[in-house]
Parts: sequence; structure tokens; C-alpha cells
Amino acid sequence: MAQVTVRNIVKRYGSVQVIHGVNVDIADGEFVILVGPSGCGKSTLLRMIAGLEPISDGEISIGGRVVNDVLPKDRDIAMVFQNYALYPHKNVADNMGFSLKIKGRPKAEIDAKVKKAAEILDLGKLLDRFPKQLSGGQRQRVAMGRAIVRDPQVFLFDEPLSNLDAKLRVAMRVEIKELHQRLGTTIVYVTHDQIEAMTMADKIVVMRDGKVEQIGAPLNLYDNPGNVFVAGFIGSPAMNFIKGSIDSKDGEQIFVSDTGTVLPAGGVKAQGGQQVIYGIRPEHIDITPDGLPATVSVLEPTGSETQVFAKLGGDAIDAIVKDRLTVRPGEEVRLRIDPRRVHIFDRRSGARL
Amino acid sequence: MLAPTIAILGIFGIVPFLYVLYVAFHQWNPFGANPYMIYNGAGNFRRLVFDSEFLTSIAFTLKFAFFAVFSEVILGYLLAQLFMREFPGRAFFRTIHTLPLIVAPIVVGSVWRLMTTPSIGIIPYLLKSWFGYDLNIGRDATMAFALTVIMDIWHWTPLVTLTLLAALVSLPKEPFEQAQIDGANRWQIFWHVTLPMIRPAILATVFIRLMDALRTVDEVWMLTGGGPGAATRYLGLHIWKIVFPKTDYGYGSATSIIVLYLTLVMCWLLYVALVARRGQRRTP
Ligand SMILES: Nc1ncnc2c1ncn2[C@@H]1O[C@H](COP(=O)(O)OP(=O)(O)OP(=O)(O)O)[C@@H](O)[C@H]1O
Ligand SMILES: [Mg+2]
Repeated sequence: MAQVTVRNIVKRYGSVQVIHGVNVDIADGEFVILVGPSGCGKSTLLRMIAGLEPISDGEISIGGRVVNDVLPKDRDIAMVFQNYALYPHKNVADNMGFSLKIKGRPKAEIDAKVKKAAEILDLGKLLDRFPKQLSGGQRQRVAMGRAIVRDPQVFLFDEPLSNLDAKLRVAMRVEIKELHQRLGTTIVYVTHDQIEAMTMADKIVVMRDGKVEQIGAPLNLYDNPGNVFVAGFIGSPAMNFIKGSIDSKDGEQIFVSDTGTVLPAGGVKAQGGQQVIYGIRPEHIDITPDGLPATVSVLEPTGSETQVFAKLGGDAIDAIVKDRLTVRPGEEVRLRIDPRRVHIFDRRSGARL
Repeated sequence: MLAPTIAILGIFGIVPFLYVLYVAFHQWNPFGANPYMIYNGAGNFRRLVFDSEFLTSIAFTLKFAFFAVFSEVILGYLLAQLFMREFPGRAFFRTIHTLPLIVAPIVVGSVWRLMTTPSIGIIPYLLKSWFGYDLNIGRDATMAFALTVIMDIWHWTPLVTLTLLAALVSLPKEPFEQAQIDGANRWQIFWHVTLPMIRPAILATVFIRLMDALRTVDEVWMLTGGGPGAATRYLGLHIWKIVFPKTDYGYGSATSIIVLYLTLVMCWLLYVALVARRGQRRTP
């Protein structure tokens, strides 16, 4: 168990710089999730923490010890790779027990630990199989098992659930959370899936193009995104964005979109006339008789809720409502935007106002 | 489509083999007292069992093949690992280290002969002036044996390097990273990850090299002529001596058949020991 500190980390591949001065503080026992679009440098950062990728500049420490020049084998970390990285010539049991065998643990102990991990991961029947005889999801679970049998200072997970089906993914999510609660080991976890990020993390690090955009607790990021990128990235379906400017009418602040739609915008710290982006999450829009008129273009009922894609004046907007709707595409609905849930961003910098 | 292949195989492979088999059961020395083929039953084979020259030759050949192939695999692996690293001039060295492969064995033999001939060769000269050592492979049986092994290593290690390099290059890098994370040191990574993963390539190379080494003729013939005495008279050379200078075709054929048989048995034993046993364990 240990805290991990990432200080001004820079990564260059030749002349290409892919990580531009990243800072992250991870407390002992914290579950931190790195999210961001593909290619933003999540895996690279994780691999630098693991020691598999040389650090071009900056400092990483684990448990108070600077590890820039420490070999991966001496960092006492367990890692699950994005592409499993199983030993092709070892069966499942040997794959999972290898790290313990290297440490010279007694065979009985290895067997017991492997068996226990296999039970958790539902791999009991596959222990004699070789990686090539497993499905993608099974391989991924073996890779998880290899990490679980160890008792490292830090767990590093690189999209460990990406190849599992929806049901197994939910089960594994719970499993990982329980593992974390039971062991209290620090976890750094990379994912694309923001449900995973929201549900598991103590702290989310949102990255883009090798930079950290925002760090915070999941609900904090959801409620107070620092900029347009984070606002659009966290939350599903994504936040609606409408371009326009701030104006005032009858002494009250309002938002006027570029296409002329007027929307409520109370209490934002923006000057009149400022060019802004108006953000509202679909779940913060209701359908009520006294709302603004909008034309439905598509309806997507999922059973528990309905997603409505509509045109509000000239702007596309979508809303999620709990009710079953009887409207058809082309008909009119009345949308009410909860003014307290509106986010206003500066149009040029994207920063929250 | 298969017919021409079978025909060619038949004409160039099976017919000569059957002919050798046929000759092996006869006494036939066209330049001897009786130039005709005389049916001799298993006589040639019976003679072989008591032929001490033949038996010594087997022992020397096995020794030669063992030392040569063993060193080639070790050295070849080390070179392959070296060529996996980045260093200035890597592409250049990768290319020139394969040059021995394109030299004909007879030329390799001649060159080594020239280099080792006492009083004119560079090797005896240097050994003499640096270490005061007298190298004379015409007289020193151990040195002659050692030199045939060294020559074979020089000639064939690049082949091993090439095959193992190809195997190493095609390995996925993730298991190696995982092994580092799992806490393995370099030796453990070699033993538990690299070796099992390139095993098939190593085995294939060992078989190819072993079969080649067991039938070496021309290089050794040029270098030592099989001498001094019979110290480097390996099986191929031994058969050649029976068949050509002595023109004892029947006996030579019988020897060939037995050598072929011994080679097959040896490879089969190796195969069973190294491959098949593992293969069985794999299928649960
Ligand atoms: N060996 C390399 N040489 C040059 N560029 C590289 C190398 N490895 C990665 N990159 C670049 O670094 C950037 C970050 O890659 P990385 O694998 O960390 O992305 P990621 O955030 O993990 O993406 P994904 O979610 O798709 O896994 C990418 O733009 C990639 O092209
Ligand atoms: Mg990645």
C-alpha cells in the first residue's frame, strides 16, 4: 500500500511529445481512474508508473520513493494490460501463479491463492487450459487473476473490462470494488467507459492530448465540470451544447443562441454580450406543458427511460425522461430546462464561467 | 498436380535409395578380383558390426556433432540477442555475419586448411608467436578434432543466429513486460518466458544442424583429410573412403544404410524426448 505521486511528467517518443507535464496525487488506498479519449496518453502514463516506459522528464514516486530509475520488478506493482499479455506457453494456473513462483513461495500457498482467485473470477474449470484455448473475456479474467493473487503496493489496470460482455462487466466491476474495499490497495485504473469511472472511482483524472483537464471526485466532475471538454466527456448521454451569447431581458440574465432561441441562464458570472457555450445535461430537461416548444426528431425508448432528440428553434437538443411518451417524430413537445443545472462556458477558452 | 511431384520424388529419391539398398546386399568391387555383383545376404551388415574403424568413426562423429551443434546453438542465441539490441552498425553486422553461409563447404575447408597449415598458415604462426604453442593438425589429433569443430561453428553459427533472430523478432513483447511486472529477473525471464517461446525454433535448428553435422564430408576432407590417423574420419568421410578410393561399393552402401538408420533413430529419440512428451502434456 502506498501513495503515488506524478510530478510534471513528460513523455517524448523521439521528437513527438505525447504527455505534456502531468501532475496527479494519489493517496494511499485511493481508487483513481484515468479517463480520456483514445490516444490521449492514458496507457502511456500507466506504463510509466509501472516502469515499462522511460520517463522523459518529471518524477514519479511510489510510497514516498522516487522510482524513475527503479526497474519494474522492484516497484512491487501488479498490472493488467489492455491486451492481456498472458504467457502463451503456460496454462491458466501457471499464468496466475507465476509471480508467486518467482518469489519462491511454497507450492501449497500458490495453489491456494490461485484457486481462490479462480473462484472469484469464475475460472475454476479453466485452470488447465492454455491462453489460446480461451475467449477474449476469459483471457481478460486470467489477467485480472494474475494481479489479484499478488499483494502489491499498487494495482495498475489498463481497461481490464473492455472485452467482457455487459453482464460480466457489471459483475467484475462489483468484484473489483469489493477487492479494493477488502484490500485497501491503491488502484490506478484506465478506462474509456465512463460508467466504470463514475461508479468505481474515488477520484477521476480526465485527460486529453497528454494533458490533465480536470481531477476530482466523480460527482464533483459531473456537477462542476471545469470546461467544455470535461462537461462533454463525463455523463452519458453527453451534455447538450448550444452556442450563443449572454443578454439580459427585464433585468434578468438570459441566453440567446446563435439561431435565436432564448433560454434561461440565471445566476451566471458572465457579462452581457459575452460569447458563450450553453450546456445542459439531457437528464436535466423535463417535458412539461409550460415548457419551451420543440419538435421531436427521434425517440429512443429503452424501457426504463426515453431519450428524446428534438429541435429547439434551430438547435438540436436531447432530453431523457422517465415517462413513456406518446408523441411521434415531427410533433411538438414542451421542454423545461432546469435553470439551476445550466452550465455556461466561455466560447473561446472553453472554461467554465 | 501431385503426379509430377511423385514422379520426380520417385526418380530422384526413391529409386536411388532402393538401388543403394539393393547394392548393400551384394559384394561388389568392380576393380577388385571379382568385378561382378555377388549376392551376399546380410554379410556386409555383419561385417559392419565388427568393423572397429566404423565404430570409432561413429563415436568421433557423435562427439563432433555434439560439440559443434551445442556450441552453435549457444553462440547463435547470444548473437541473435545481440542483434536484437540497438547499436551503431547493427544492420551492417547483421549482414556480414551471414557471409560464411554463402561460402561453399569445399572452399571453407580449403581456406581453413590454408590458415592452419604449419609454417604457412596464419593461425599456427600467431599461436607460436603469441603463446609459443606449436599447432600441427597433421600430428595432433585433439587439435585436429577441435579445429573441425571450430570450422563447423564458424561456418554454421550464422544459420542458427538467423533462425533464432527470426524467432525472437516475432515474439510478442507483452509477456516480457508482464514478466518484469511479475518480478522476474533477466535470468528468470530467459528461463520461464523466452526459452519456452522460442523452443520450436531452437528444436528445428538443432535438428537441421544435427543432421547436417552427422553427414559432413567436404569441409573436413579438405581440412584434415580425416586424419591424423582416423581422428577426424567422420561417417560421411568414412563412407566416401570405402566407396571411392577402395571402390568397395557393396560395403559402402551397407554403411550408408546403417548411418541413415542411426541418424533417423537419433532424431526420433530426440524428438520423443523433447517434443512429443511435452505435446502430450498439453492436451488435457
Ligand atoms: N512507441 C510509440 N512511438 C510513438 N508514439 C507512440 C508510441 N506509443 C504510443 N504513442 C502515441 O502516444 C499517444 C498515447 O498513446 P496511449 O497508448 O497512451 O493512448 P491511450 O490513451 O491509452 O489510448 P487508448 O484509449 O486507445 O488505449 C498516442 O497518440 C500514440 O500514438
Ligand atoms: Mg491504452
